[in-house]
Amino acid sequence: MEPSRAAASTASSGRPRNALRPLSDFPAGLRVLVVDDDLTCLKIIDRMLRKCLYDVTVCSGAAAALAMLREKKGEFDLVLSDVYMPDMDGFKLLEHIGLEMDLPVIMMSADDGKDAVMKGVTHGACDYLIKPLSMEALKNIWQHVVRKRRNELKELEHSGSAEENDRKKRAPEEGDNASSGNEGSWKNVKRRRDEEGEVVVQEEVEEREDPSTLKKPRVVWSVDLHRQFVAAVNQLGVDKAVPKKILELMHVHGLTRENVASHLQKYRLYMRRVSVPQHQGRLDTPYTGSSEATFRSVDSFDGFDLHSLAVSSQLSPQSLTTLHSAPRRVTNTSIGMSSVDQMGFFNSSAQISNASNIRPPLMQQINKQQMNFPSGPSTSMESRQLGQSQQLIQSYGNMGLQASEGASVLLNLPSLLRTSTSFPGGSINANLSNSSVMQMTHRGQQFSLSQQRNQIHASMPQLPQTRGLILNGIAGEHDSRLPTTIGQILSNEVSSHISGRSGSNMNVDTSLPGGYMNASSYGAVSHALYADFPNSCMNESTGSCYPLARSVGATSLTSTAMPPVGDVEALGNSTGLRGAKDFVPNYDLFSELHQSKSQDWKLQNINVSYPSDQHLGSKQSNIAFGSPSLAHQDSSATVKDGSSRNTRTVRKEIFSVRTEIGHEKGERIAQRNRTILVENSVRLKSEGMSDPRYQDVLFDDNIIQNELMNVVGKKQQEGVVQVDPELNFDGYSLDNIPS
Amino acid sequence: MEYSNLRRQAAYMKKSLFDQGYLDEQFYQLEELQDDVSPNFVEEVVTLFFRDSARLISNIEQALDKCPQEFSKLNAFVHQLKGSTSSIGASRLKNECTRFRDYCDEENLEGCLKSFQKLKREHAVLRQKLESYFQLLRQVGPVEKATRPSM
Repeated sequence: MEPSRAAASTASSGRPRNALRPLSDFPAGLRVLVVDDDLTCLKIIDRMLRKCLYDVTVCSGAAAALAMLREKKGEFDLVLSDVYMPDMDGFKLLEHIGLEMDLPVIMMSADDGKDAVMKGVTHGACDYLIKPLSMEALKNIWQHVVRKRRNELKELEHSGSAEENDRKKRAPEEGDNASSGNEGSWKNVKRRRDEEGEVVVQEEVEEREDPSTLKKPRVVWSVDLHRQFVAAVNQLGVDKAVPKKILELMHVHGLTRENVASHLQKYRLYMRRVSVPQHQGRLDTPYTGSSEATFRSVDSFDGFDLHSLAVSSQLSPQSLTTLHSAPRRVTNTSIGMSSVDQMGFFNSSAQISNASNIRPPLMQQINKQQMNFPSGPSTSMESRQLGQSQQLIQSYGNMGLQASEGASVLLNLPSLLRTSTSFPGGSINANLSNSSVMQMTHRGQQFSLSQQRNQIHASMPQLPQTRGLILNGIAGEHDSRLPTTIGQILSNEVSSHISGRSGSNMNVDTSLPGGYMNASSYGAVSHALYADFPNSCMNESTGSCYPLARSVGATSLTSTAMPPVGDVEALGNSTGLRGAKDFVPNYDLFSELHQSKSQDWKLQNINVSYPSDQHLGSKQSNIAFGSPSLAHQDSSATVKDGSSRNTRTVRKEIFSVRTEIGHEKGERIAQRNRTILVENSVRLKSEGMSDPRYQDVLFDDNIIQNELMNVVGKKQQEGVVQVDPELNFDGYSLDNIPS
Repeated sequence: MEYSNLRRQAAYMKKSLFDQGYLDEQFYQLEELQDDVSPNFVEEVVTLFFRDSARLISNIEQALDKCPQEFSKLNAFVHQLKGSTSSIGASRLKNECTRFRDYCDEENLEGCLKSFQKLKREHAVLRQKLESYFQLLRQVGPVEKATRPSM
């Protein structure tokens, strides 16, 4: 009897696990990880899967499974998990995985009740199998892997066209990614995924294959990587930090000086942006279209966020495109927020929020501005993947929370989204499937972001103020809420077109598919998403944004700068808070987002149920999210950190995510949102959201942020970054990489 | 021939287990998983099952003794038990688990106690029957495969 591998290091066929499988015998060799505490079932399933010629690894505990997945990223194609497990709820694990690794997850359970199955769906599970399992059921699980890849590619393609221009400016490999992604056949997808998996999934820049032979792999500024970067920069002194020295300090194999240089540039921009929020004027700047640059950066950020968002929430490629390409208009007023606009807005918001995050007063401002988003995000939230976004958001929230452990606050958001990290707050689970998932489910249903999309009309001009107000309100109150909302919105709206960057009204309505929420809308959205606060100002709760993002996949997040749920925080953290050094690992999240590439940016899973429930100013946010989804009960949705920082960051993130989002899977979007948020925060935070409260709250956010960042970062890697060099600060929130 | 008699007995035993509802189709699935690579798969799984389930049952028993009002805990235990019983195709036992769980949901302690007794009985009976079955099978040798030790 062949022993079950507890940790397979070689494929059943003898090939090393991480080797590319010959496509010809697919699905043989599919690398499956089975998680179930029941040894009898484990044994049976293991045998069955081997009979299907899959490459099986078994694990009897969720924690061990997660550790294994983290350790061997890229070595698994699919995860099969039981729902009922003693050490960690299966849905939580689902969320974590979705956020962190973005692998397809299939749930199993003896419980065939409709609610249970629904939970699986809303948490982002690819499938839900009823025990006892049969060979027939397991024989076809490979379809989920293929599907996911195809979706990613599709996202990639979609966003690729829009971002083509951006991409062209970037390293050629981006284009390669896009082009290779266009192949479409699952084989190609698979292959590409494998390759890219190698490249993209890496947290460090380690290319398994020789990069020069393939397209030049993008450096994925994972949360960890970014954290290292930040540490190096700080060690050298911000002024004296030169790429060469940073590179030396980082000791990262494979990282080039050029990588560091470009990252540093972004980082600097981000810092500058983040430090600004303190001044009203500054806040207004983004909104009042003060500067092209601002917007631009915002855009990039947005794009970035969007990507993240998209990724997490599966922002639809279109949204991303829109977001990306839409001209940044300052006019917020009821902007039909094209995604781009929203993104821009989001960025601005994010910026603002970031700033806000750092300081409550600031936040107020941001809140105000971001408040307008609510309407926006809501709409975006509808994005298809509400459920997913929600989950994402939730995950984000979780992630963010987790990220908070030290991770940059900014990054919180992403981490929140990721949920995969054990969220202190309540374990949001990456994959958004964590607790937030639960909530998400809930929200997902309500999340009619689409409707809300149109509602988020951010009126830019007033935004700055409103935002501030909103932020305040939100920040003060429900931090967690905000993020969630935002997250939600973000995710949802990300795809929905972020109309208007016009600051105030983030009509998150954006076409962002999913969670693509403008930063502003993000905040707004997240709030919206969270039922908790109808007004959830997503922006403000940068920290809280996480939840938003999470819960709602708030696509509209894009508009809101507030990185919903956690992400926001992360964003805030990451952006402005540079000082805070706690870059939320959003970066990771973001990276993930990037990776997800094919997502349609739907903040699907914005699991609003962000534990950290912070209603960031959700109260204030005028975001009329109307959508029930906003009523995200999940606290997680509550923007964790009302910090507007998040919002701001979110925005950026969103923007950036947008670009990436094309690829990201819906689930990731939530995650991404986080990251986006984080990203935003990273960017925005020049001030260094060192708000301790924020941090705490954001802990989850951080996690999310981190996650988000990772996602986003990754996404950026893919090309999101392309969007706007300055905005794409992939690694902003790497600080917090909680994982 | 002795061998064929044993085989017939084994076949008969298996059939009656199915007829009486002790086993269901899922058991066939297990048998299908048995092959040259895993020649004793079914028996191994069943052995593993009884070991695990015995532990779970004793947990339930303890819970019923000490904190009988904690229905959620009981529910969790029986849910686990149900998962594995259904995986091996232990049909009657699975049904009893469902009944027990229903009583838990209703928070009907008496119902739980009664059901639990039945559950324990079913478990013991099944164990004994399957043990005999496998004993017989061992004597018979691998039935499914063509290769058989010449008798």
